[in-house]
Parts: sequence; C-alpha cells; structure tokens
Amino acid sequence: MSWLMWWLMWAPLAANLVLATAGPRLAHALPPRAGVRLLPGAMVVVAAGTGAVLASLGFLALAQVPAVAALGDWSPLSLRATQPGPVPLEVAAGVTMLLLLGSAVRHTLRAGHLLVRADAACRRIGAHTHGLVVVDEDVPDAYALPTLPGHLLGHPPGGISGRIVVSTAMLRALPPDERRVLLAHEAAHLAGHHHLYVQLAELAAAANPLLRPTARGVRLAVEREADEAAAAEVGDRRLAARALARAALAKAALAKAETSTGRRAAGVALAATDGFVADRARALLSPAPRPRRLLAAGLVLLAAVTLMGTAAAANRTDDSLDVAERPAATTAVSQGR
Amino acid sequence: MGISTPASRQGGRRPRGGLEREILACLAGADGPLTPAQVLASLGEDLAYTTVMTTLSRLHEKGALRREQAGRAYAYSPAADPEGVRSIAVAQRMRRLLETGGDRAGVLAHFVADLGPDDEQLLADLLAESRPAAAPDPDGPPSTGRGAR
Repeated sequence: MSWLMWWLMWAPLAANLVLATAGPRLAHALPPRAGVRLLPGAMVVVAAGTGAVLASLGFLALAQVPAVAALGDWSPLSLRATQPGPVPLEVAAGVTMLLLLGSAVRHTLRAGHLLVRADAACRRIGAHTHGLVVVDEDVPDAYALPTLPGHLLGHPPGGISGRIVVSTAMLRALPPDERRVLLAHEAAHLAGHHHLYVQLAELAAAANPLLRPTARGVRLAVEREADEAAAAEVGDRRLAARALARAALAKAALAKAETSTGRRAAGVALAATDGFVADRARALLSPAPRPRRLLAAGLVLLAAVTLMGTAAAANRTDDSLDVAERPAATTAVSQGR
Repeated sequence: MGISTPASRQGGRRPRGGLEREILACLAGADGPLTPAQVLASLGEDLAYTTVMTTLSRLHEKGALRREQAGRAYAYSPAADPEGVRSIAVAQRMRRLLETGGDRAGVLAHFVADLGPDDEQLLADLLAESRPAAAPDPDGPPSTGRGAR
C-alpha cells in the first residue's frame, strides 16, 4: 500500500505537466461552454496540489533543522531516513513553494483591487437601460464591466449584473444586425459571470506559471462561448463572424491613425491585444462545436487524481513525522534529568 | 447546427432587456432622431411595428429617450445623459487603469482586441466575401446569405 502512496504523491506534479502541455489544446478542442466551466477548476486543483506537494517536501526539510525538530520532538536522523531525496532538492521545493505562494497572494490582492475598482465604476456610471451605457467617444470600443457578486444592484433575476459599455464610434461602425451581435456577446459575458472563471484561471496561473498558456486558453474559451451565444441569438454564425471582423478592423484603423499622428506610441502593447479575433472568426465560420465527453471526463479524472495525490502527500508527511517522533516516555525522562 | 442556412436564421429569442438595449444602441448610433418606422426599418428582421413602438414609449417613460413630434409620429433620440460626462470619465479611467496595469484579472471583457497585421488581412477578406451587409440598408431586400425572413 505504501508504494502506491509513494507513487500517488507525485501525481499532482505529473498532472501539472500534463495540464501545462495539453491545457491550451484542450481549450481549443472542448466546446467553449465546457472548457470555461471545467478548465479553471482543474487548473486551481492542479496548482494547489502542486503547491501542497512542494510544501510537504519543504516542510520535511525544515523539520530536520535541529531547532525545529526540538520544537516538534522529532529525531532529525530518523526523519532523514524516511526521506527519498537529497536535502537540497527538498529545500528547493520549499523555496519554490514560498515564491509561488507569494505570487498567488500578490495576484489576488491586485485582482481584488481591480475588481473593486470595476464595481465602483459600475455604480458611478449608474443604472442605465438594462446595463447598456453608451459613451460618446470617437474610439470604437465595447466591453463588459462586471460587478462584484455581492453587488447585484437590484437587477431583477434573469437580468444582467454589470454594465455593457459601448462607444458611439463603435455603434456607428456597425450595421444594426451586427450591433445586436455585439450586445448579445457582451450580455453573455455578464450573464455567464465569465470574469469569475477567468479570474480563477489567472489565479492558478499566478500560483503556477506553467499554467499560463492554459489561462490564455480559458480567455479564448470565454470569448468563444460569448460568440456562440451571440450567434445563437441572431441565428447566423456568419453574421456573428462579420460583426467581429468589422469591429476589430474599426479598432485597428483607429490605432493606426493614432500611431501615425503620434497620439499613441508605436509598438506599445495594449492589454487588449490577445490575437484571438482571427481564431474566433474562424470558429464562427466552422460548424457549431460538438460535445467532447471523453476529453471532459479526462479533465475531471486529472483533477480527481491530483486531489488523491495531494491527500497522499499530506498522509506521507504525517507518517514520516510519526515515525520520527521520539517516544513520549524517553522525552519525559530526558527532560527530567 | 450548421453554418447559417436560411432555416437557422430565425432571429432567435432575445434575452430580457435585449430589445431595449438594441433600440437604445440604434438611436445612439443614429445621426438624428428616428421615428418608430425608421427604427423598425433599421433593426429589420422579425420585429412587429407595435413591439418597436411600445418599447420606444416605455424607454421614453423611463427617461432613457426623449421624443419630438415629427409629422404624425414621434421621433426619438437618447435623452441627454446628466451623467454623460462622468460616464465617459469613468469609462476612460477604467480602460487606462487596465491597459497600463495589464488586465491580469480579466476584469474587462472587450468585444474585440487589437489585431496583428496578418489578422487584419484575414478579416478584411472575410468582410469582402459577404459584401451585401457592408452598410446598413434599411430599405433594401434581405441581403444574400442571410436567408429568407
């Protein structure tokens, strides 16, 4: 049984590698709805599992330090004997875990700050017609601004929480049927609480940089799900693709004009540059995605194995400490002298 | 569901508030006030005149639209937004904050992102392929590729 435990405890690290390599492809292959709902959860489980395994390795290294061992009443030597790897490796694991944890905490603080700002912006913009805010601007732009889950701003059930901000320039760039696509797309983001899934994925990526490409895949899946919702609402995938193309070209034309007039420095990378538009247009021009049950089941299995591995790692750490613990009687005697 | 066949272009069900948003967007993007008939022509598709008229007067009652007499009908335009300037400022600040800091949290969901040079050509080709919808043409027949009503 213990050999099984020994192998199982490495499962989170293996799952991490699997998700890091297969994640971006899974995000493409799964239907967007399934990808959005499954990938972020799997990423968080895998990132947390990896962190837990690194932490248990690091902790065992720490427990061998004589001062720490004295605190826990462990024998450093018998603790050493239970450990498979060399000490420097354990120390490296512990340090890595601390760095990753720090990165996750920093990310959480920054994301929380931005979310609070967005929520405040929503309330400052006020209650508009079913969340639509038209901003009189010559920059063609449109985005969904989410509220925090707690602040539903008295929106009726079935309504959307958050704001759809659209500039007049964007409205003028699109014919009415394509505007409908745009509005349906942004409403789908808000109704599906897509920002929460993206945040889970980004948190996992902050806690585990190997998962960064997968987080990017989740962002693409989120856009594709909103595209699919919009295409279903207007009943025309080609129309949805056209809306996407026209909006993107209007935006690109302005960016070019700004660069040439010096209003925007050339080569400045914007947060909105994601290279997804062409992928999304291609997906809309292909038939609607079909279910991929086997892939989805594989992803759930990966998360389950990771959880078992995490439990095994915790168990093993516990066992090692038990073995290394000095018998209570001996301790009492040694202290008595 | 396959690629748009005439049968699939039913103009599916709108979510709650969807039509109100569309009508408001239509008026906000127009050059001047529009009558219900003009709004209907511009939105086209599967809508009934009375639906558009009812929605317009509901939006007017809510204070989202103002209207003026235009012949025998009313012409509607977006109500001057008392918070308009503030909304612009808030929207701009939000965008700048996320552009400089990098929207790692995925707070804003943009409809489209900036394009790479290759993408631009690909999308231009896509639009060229489906020429007829290039401009809003409220009075014209349904364009090809959009199927029968």
